[in-house]
Amino acid sequence: MTHMDDLATHLCDVAKRRGVDFADVRVVRRDGESVLVQDGRADKLAASADRGVGVRVLVGRAWGFASADSLQRDRAEQCVDDAIALAKASEALVTDPARMAAITPVEAEDRSDPEILPGAMPIKEKIDRLLEYERAGRGAATNGGQIVNSIVSYAEGEHKETLANTAGTLVRSAGCRAVVTTLFVASDGKVLQRGTEHRGIVGGAELLRQTEPDAFSVRAARKALAALDAKPAPAGRFTVIFHPSITGLLVHEALGHNAEADAVWAGESILEGRLGDTIASAAVSVYDDSTLPGQFGSFAYDAEGTPGRRRPIIEEGRLVAFLHSLETAAKFETDPTGSARAESYDCRPIVRMSNTFLEPAGTDTGVPLAEMFRTVDRGIYLEDGHWGYVFVQKGQFICHAGQAHMIEHGDIGEPLRDVSISSLTLDTLQNIDAVGDDFEMEMPGMCGKDGQSAPTDCGGPHVRVQDVVVGGQHTL
Amino acid sequence: MTVDERFYLDLAEQCVRRAVAAGAEWCDVQAGTARDITVVIEKSGIKSADAGRGEEVAIRAYVGGGMGYAAVTGRDRATIDRAVDRAVALAKEATPDPDFRRLPDPQPRPEVDGLFDDAVAGLRVEEVVGMAVANIEAARAGEPDVNLSGAVSLAVGHAALASSTGVALASRATDISASMAALLRRDGDTGYFYEFDFGRNLADCSLEDVSVGAVEGARRFLGARRIGSGRRTLVLGPLAAYGFLGRLLASANAESIQRGRGFLCGKEGHAIANACLTLVDDGLVPRGLKSGAHDGEGTARRPLTVIQEGRLASLLHNAYTAGKAGTESTGHGTHGGGIGPTNLRPALGTRLAADLLAEVDDGIYLESGEIRPDPASGDISASIDFGFLIQHGERVHPVESAMLGGNIFDLLERLDAVSSDAREEPGILMPTLRIHDVQIAGSE
Repeated sequence: MTHMDDLATHLCDVAKRRGVDFADVRVVRRDGESVLVQDGRADKLAASADRGVGVRVLVGRAWGFASADSLQRDRAEQCVDDAIALAKASEALVTDPARMAAITPVEAEDRSDPEILPGAMPIKEKIDRLLEYERAGRGAATNGGQIVNSIVSYAEGEHKETLANTAGTLVRSAGCRAVVTTLFVASDGKVLQRGTEHRGIVGGAELLRQTEPDAFSVRAARKALAALDAKPAPAGRFTVIFHPSITGLLVHEALGHNAEADAVWAGESILEGRLGDTIASAAVSVYDDSTLPGQFGSFAYDAEGTPGRRRPIIEEGRLVAFLHSLETAAKFETDPTGSARAESYDCRPIVRMSNTFLEPAGTDTGVPLAEMFRTVDRGIYLEDGHWGYVFVQKGQFICHAGQAHMIEHGDIGEPLRDVSISSLTLDTLQNIDAVGDDFEMEMPGMCGKDGQSAPTDCGGPHVRVQDVVVGGQHTL
Repeated sequence: MTVDERFYLDLAEQCVRRAVAAGAEWCDVQAGTARDITVVIEKSGIKSADAGRGEEVAIRAYVGGGMGYAAVTGRDRATIDRAVDRAVALAKEATPDPDFRRLPDPQPRPEVDGLFDDAVAGLRVEEVVGMAVANIEAARAGEPDVNLSGAVSLAVGHAALASSTGVALASRATDISASMAALLRRDGDTGYFYEFDFGRNLADCSLEDVSVGAVEGARRFLGARRIGSGRRTLVLGPLAAYGFLGRLLASANAESIQRGRGFLCGKEGHAIANACLTLVDDGLVPRGLKSGAHDGEGTARRPLTVIQEGRLASLLHNAYTAGKAGTESTGHGTHGGGIGPTNLRPALGTRLAADLLAEVDDGIYLESGEIRPDPASGDISASIDFGFLIQHGERVHPVESAMLGGNIFDLLERLDAVSSDAREEPGILMPTLRIHDVQIAGSE
């Protein structure tokens, strides 16, 4: 038993002695390092260290949660008392009593060491690699535009956690995530345009060895330079073909957040009461899978000690399941899916996605990209997914694309500047009329919900969607 | 100075001395503590009560102008010392930067009243729960079947900043807020909206009835309909205007302009908006949520006119960008090396918002929504998240599946009025804006 294990189990024992109905304790150590290279210089080198404990207790009908940034026993014990006091302060006023699914205690260790351990690659080597990316990108200027600003950044974060609960679970996890990001800004003397790329893995500095400049910084610089010649997108309703990065944003933002069972139970999701219904075209199947090796959103055990898994959400157009924590599983009388995640010790576990994707069609039913284009007389091809958000209450989402092209008479047309689309989730899922047999999931990012961020990824094949609203600058 | 402020100032000064001894040519250290309470509402009931407390020390060291930074939580002295040494070691690895001049010297400290409230600091969790319950009851009194979600939160903090130039500052602050979202479902129709209130002082807030505004908003947004595409007048209500102007203010970041990556590059001193727009950033407003005597580097705050009658008059500087430009820092530095705005204070116009709206024949009223220009090009492609169709001076119905597009300079040029009335929150003014001839994309 490590000190972290001792502390976690001790706090569970204290909570039991205090008479709680359930408690779980997360003891966390996080260490990070980041390098930022800008305009030929290693501009900012940073490090962080964070340790703490979070205690969640169930007292009667109510939850209490308290945290402290200390692994000292006396301060941690204070968290137990604080959490109990918080639960008792609200217990009489709770109208939707808290519940927990039956827990099968598990003792497990999830240790996924990166190929290059934190600190094993000298910071000088990281700086040199980022400078190499930057030089390669700056060398991409070919069309008369010039790169006026370039940023390449790398960050790695090591994470060790012990989770214990009063049911007897003890899960130790240790791992590392690494992210490398680049931004190039190009100018033709009149306008500025930018291009970005980012890569993220469950792993360490091997990411810098795996990521080649041509597929990373050169690509970002070329995006910025190409955008100088692009025109503003038109406005209105169009047939739109989504690149896999946009498909990923669609299933994460528009669907995935609505399938998080806490939002469903709260009556906020548009999917409330729709389980078993056909809500998408038959070609659509969507999964969330935290078991994909190395993928940015992957994990072996969630923040409540439930093993991660592949979770179906939509199969052949039918809504088959939601994503669950222990609490939502109890309330829906189903099994937990290992979807409870907490950003750190100072955050309560909430229901989150991991790696969410639209399943590609089989080779017999998949529509090749050229075929998707062929039947579009006038439409838009959206690429380079950047960001999105959703109002689950209204089922209204927005996705932003860094690049786009017109589709004219079945062929790819002129390049368009970055543009957003917005529609209603259920309309859009029904309006998918072609799904490709290709697949890409390269959208590592930090998803925000309730003030917490969680590493996620998303993707899918190319898809074609009818009647999408495009937020362009002029009408055709 | 309180005991906490003295403790963290001593700690920060000790860290500075250690960093200098380790080879830092310049160094500043921020140290402090904070505690918070949050009561969460879900499904029109109390969901949970959370509390946290923490301490942080952040060290910024420079060698040859190269910067190393380390942050650590907790008060374990050995861990803090290692963080100091790490910051200095990282500074030595960073590329020397000839554009770095110096960290700010000690300066006379302006007085800013009302940043700490004993009434907030002394609130017990039962009282915070009571505020949440009051919101639930107020919402249900208006709409018994409303689905209310939200939170009531408070935070209390003590912080200190010390530097190798002799800066030694300590401060304390409180803030409290209630944010509520109301959801109404009626025969397949959905009305959804949110409301909030916040402040540093309990007396500046009305935290028990925030949900009433959310419920009224949810009622307004029932009955949304699709609209067609076309060019229309866009009226930004106070919340939407605050988001739009806030993004514009943040874009006056001197570093992104010096680096050549922001859409305001080359615009300083030039007209970028209709002359009706004057935008002041003022971090000294008493009781203001973003107020403070000094910025994250120790530079005294001061009011700054960023846009003067449509002209980009000033940029937001920290010590680094000011040194590079040969000017004075405007007091907008963050301790991490960034630049951030404070309280947004647009100059008010001469006519009421209602009169501006009454003149619109065909338009969109955006009550709230995120208008996020591309940081480089200034292009805008935004969803009309909470908007109404305006016809003949009246708000006719909410709209769904609609967007707006353009470039920020086009929108700023077509801005034709700032209202004389404004929503006011502690430190912040939010008037209504009117912009003519904006591209709207509809789904009809």
